[in-house]
This record gives sequence, C-alpha cells and structure tokens, in this order.
Amino acid sequence: MSGGRILSGMLAPHPPHLVYGENPAQNEPRSEGGWEVLRWAYDHARESIERLKPDVLLVHSPHWITQVGHHFLGVPELSGRSVDPIFSNIFRYDFSLKVDVELAEACCEEGRALGLVTKMMRNPAFRVDYGTIVTLHMVRPQWDIPVVGISANNSPYYLNTGEGLGEMDILGKATREAIRKSGRRAVLLASNTLSHRHFHEEPALPEDMSKEHPERYDSYKWDMRLIDLMRKGKMRETFSLLPQFIDEAFAEVKSGAFTWMHSAMGYPELAGKFYGYGTVIGTGNAVMEWNLEEAGLAALEPALHA
Amino acid sequence: MTIVSAFLVPGSPLPQLRGDVPPWRRLASAMREAGQVLAGSKPDVVLVYSTQWMAVLDQLWINRAKSTGLHVDENWHEFGDLPFDISSDVELAEACVQGCRQGGVHAKGVDYDGFPIDTGTITAATLMGFGTPDLPVVIAANNLYHSPRQTEALGRIASRAADAAGKKVAVVGIGGLSYSMFREPIDPSADHIISEGDDRWNRRILQLIEAGAVDELRSAIPQYASEARVDMGFKHFFWILGALDGRFSSARIHEYSPLYGSGGTIVEFVI
Repeated sequence: MSGGRILSGMLAPHPPHLVYGENPAQNEPRSEGGWEVLRWAYDHARESIERLKPDVLLVHSPHWITQVGHHFLGVPELSGRSVDPIFSNIFRYDFSLKVDVELAEACCEEGRALGLVTKMMRNPAFRVDYGTIVTLHMVRPQWDIPVVGISANNSPYYLNTGEGLGEMDILGKATREAIRKSGRRAVLLASNTLSHRHFHEEPALPEDMSKEHPERYDSYKWDMRLIDLMRKGKMRETFSLLPQFIDEAFAEVKSGAFTWMHSAMGYPELAGKFYGYGTVIGTGNAVMEWNLEEAGLAALEPALHA
Repeated sequence: MTIVSAFLVPGSPLPQLRGDVPPWRRLASAMREAGQVLAGSKPDVVLVYSTQWMAVLDQLWINRAKSTGLHVDENWHEFGDLPFDISSDVELAEACVQGCRQGGVHAKGVDYDGFPIDTGTITAATLMGFGTPDLPVVIAANNLYHSPRQTEALGRIASRAADAAGKKVAVVGIGGLSYSMFREPIDPSADHIISEGDDRWNRRILQLIEAGAVDELRSAIPQYASEARVDMGFKHFFWILGALDGRFSSARIHEYSPLYGSGGTIVEFVI
C-alpha cells in the first residue's frame, strides 16, 4: 500500500497542569481551573483533528527517555493509571489507548534502514509516559484514534544538540516514509514546551493564576521571537535559530520532537496557525498547527533513498 | 548511634532482570550480600535516595505506608517486569518533610495509589531485602535542581529526624558511577566500562572511598562528575555523606562492574 498522507503537524506541549485544569473524568485530582488560555488554544487543535479525521496520531514525547535507540510502542492496547512521578498531586489519570502497531513497526524498520538504532516496546505492562498521555488527551480526549508513541532518545543531551537533532531529522524521514507506504492519513504531534526554565516551588493552590508568569523575561522574548517567525512561515530561519534558542532559553525542543515532526513534514516554509501561548510553572508553551492538508502539501513523494 | 550501616548501590535494573549475564550477576550477588550486612546491622528503617526518582518542584518524600505495583523500565522493557511491594515509615517520612521545611526547603509527602516507584529503588529494595513491613524505608526524591551540597543537607535532615525519633537507620544511596552507556546493542557477556578514562576515574574514586578520604573526595568529585559524566553528579554519595554527618572511616567495595558501559558499584561504608 502507498499514498499515505501527513495531514498536519502540531506543536502540542504536555504540562499535566492542562489536564488538571480541565477536570476530565479520567483524572482523579479536581481543580478550580487554571491555564485557561492555553487550554482553550487546544480547542482549535481538537476541532482541526475532528475535521481532518486522521487514521492515526503519532506522538514523540520527551518524557519517554531512552538511551539505546529510538523506541516505539508496540502493544495493540495499553491501559492503566498514569501517576506523574513529578506532579503526582495533579495528575493521576486513567488511560486506555490503541496502538497502530503495524505503522509503529514500519517506522521502526524505516529508521533501522536509515542507520538508526530502533526497538519495539512489546511489554504489555509498560506504563505510558505522561508526556504522551497529556498531549493525546489535549488534542483528542475521546481516545478513539490509534496512536504511534515514539520515545525521545537522549542523543541531543548525550552527544550534542547538533548531532542529536540530526538523529531526530533521520527519525522524521523514516516516519514520513513509513506513513507514505502505509497509506495512513496521519497527524503528527510534537510534545514540546518552548522555553523551559521553571519555578522550583509550587504554590499552595497549583491553579492560582496570580502566581503564573514567565520564569524569565529573556525566555519569554525568545518564545515570542520564535512564534513570530513560525506564524510567518519562516521555518528555515526558525531552525537556524533553534540551537541558540535551546541554549539560551533551555528550550525543551532540544529533546527532538519538534525537529522530528518538521523533518517528517519535509520542512515546509508554511505559516503555522497560532492557537495560543501560556506559561505553566514559568515555562513557555505554544499550541500551533501546520496544516498540510489545507496547504495542499499532504501528499508524500517516495524518499530518494527508497 | 543512629546510623548503623550505609551503602552505595547502582540503580540499574539489569542485575535483577538479567542475572544470567556474568558482570550483572556479580552485581546482583554483591547487592544480596550487602543486604545481609544491612539486615545484620539491625536498623529500624532504611533511608533511601535514588537518582531515578526525579523531582523539579519541591523536595518530595514517599509518605504512603504501602506502595505496590508492577513497574516496567522505560529502557529495558524487553527484559521483564519489576514487581514491588514497599513499606514506608510514614511517621519518619513526615518528620523529614517537617525537617526540610524548618531548614528552608519546600517539601511535601507523596501518598498516592499507583505512584510509580522508580527502577533504582525497586531493584535495591528487591535485591537487598528492605522495604518490608519489618524493615520499612523512607524514600527521598532527587530534585534535579539540588546541588550536591543541598543533597548532603537532605541526608543530614533525614538522619537527624531519625535520631530525634530514637530510630536506628541504615542509609542507602542508589545511583551509578560513570554514566556513559553504549548506544547500540552489545553482547551483554562482553560488557565493559565504555572508556579507559571512565574506568580510571571510577577506580580512583573507589580507592578514595575505600580509604575514607572525605576531603580528597570533596575536592575530586566535581572534576570526576564532569569528566566521567557521573550519574546525577554523584549526589547519591552526598546523601550518604550527609546522613553520616560528613565522615566515615573507610569502606569495603563489594563489587565494581560495568552496566552497559556505565559503572556500577556496591560499597559498604565503615562508620
């Protein structure tokens, strides 16, 4: 089969505070709300997914950290209670997801063919990381679309930013080729915060928004500079600034999801739709979409290496 | 004396999950041996700090009486499951929270069903035989923003809380030595420290630990942590040092072996 399409890619950050603020039935802790502007930004992402009706959501999460290779969820159904080891007071979420194992295996194989170390995760007792779960909940709380979950190999931290993101670029190309061959209609999700400096102490009431603001002004300015470029579709300039942004704003895009997603999309010079920005414990979070289907860029050509 | 024994052990699950691999089996055997020494010291409770329970907001302590579940390591999922059933000394954990607050450190307890106890704590508790109803634990998180000095202060807070409660304690720091690992699949039976430089550094630090040379350790560890990319800057050692009030006379190295290229050791401190 071929003719797969990448319908859209979304920058979809994963602070568990967003799920906590929404009070869905799946999450045990109850809140008074909070982080509304960022949560409402996700309404646009949800509407877009509803319109696009993808076959599969692929998510790359910085909170599934692997040292030996890039790993892919490879069990047809995974469920359980995800208690966040860092934010357990606000995130204790009952999840149940279906995995598109066939596509995950194809991504794994394509990555291997391009020289990456890749591995399928086959253990049915595996606890899916909270980054994956939060991003998926925020874009599709119905949990009715199969998923491909991808780990964040620690190469950007273990090697260096350039080499590490080089691996993520290859992973993106492998993902693109796997989607093309599968015939799937896919949406990609980069589960990344932008600037990532944060407070070290939690307010007594976590959702007390009078305590929420950028941790540092220079980090905020970096976020706005990048968002402005992305809104204008200046993606080459965005990627040329990425290493400096990562160093100076301690940006979480270092972990690779953002690069993986744009690589898979073929780095289109396309204006990202900006749905909203907000801070969570001081970190900068933007919800944005590059809708390739609307732009007529969703069809995938065979890779040169194929 | 409050502290009756102290140990440094690795947090990798490989010794527990792959006891068929010679270097990892040696570590597992040494952890069991250290567990017997720990039990023989007859503590009331074990103070545990594991580099793999990471926190970023506040200092966290498990204050749940019983933590049970089935854990799967995010890296080594193909080697099997890590069941756990860990009993905690809630009263002492809450005293540690209070001790932190009195010392100006934001802290709170963690008491939630399904909380994911980290791989290192599970492996150490399983192989060394603590965390039982008869030998409960107090588990502290590794706040990523805490320095070695702040981690040493935490260890001191915990041991003083135990002292105030009239409890005899063993202290365990869980984490690795040099922490660079192979990035591609290897033949486990041929596992070795990834570089001669890392191996040299590990051996030098272990010699200093054996000799109880605390001042030399304090001065060497920053360079060691940087050059050998030591697991979390060796903060687990400072946890122990804090609990021991900054001194020990010598130590016995039960084992030093590779863990997929990184360094793992089982150290028993003589106090």
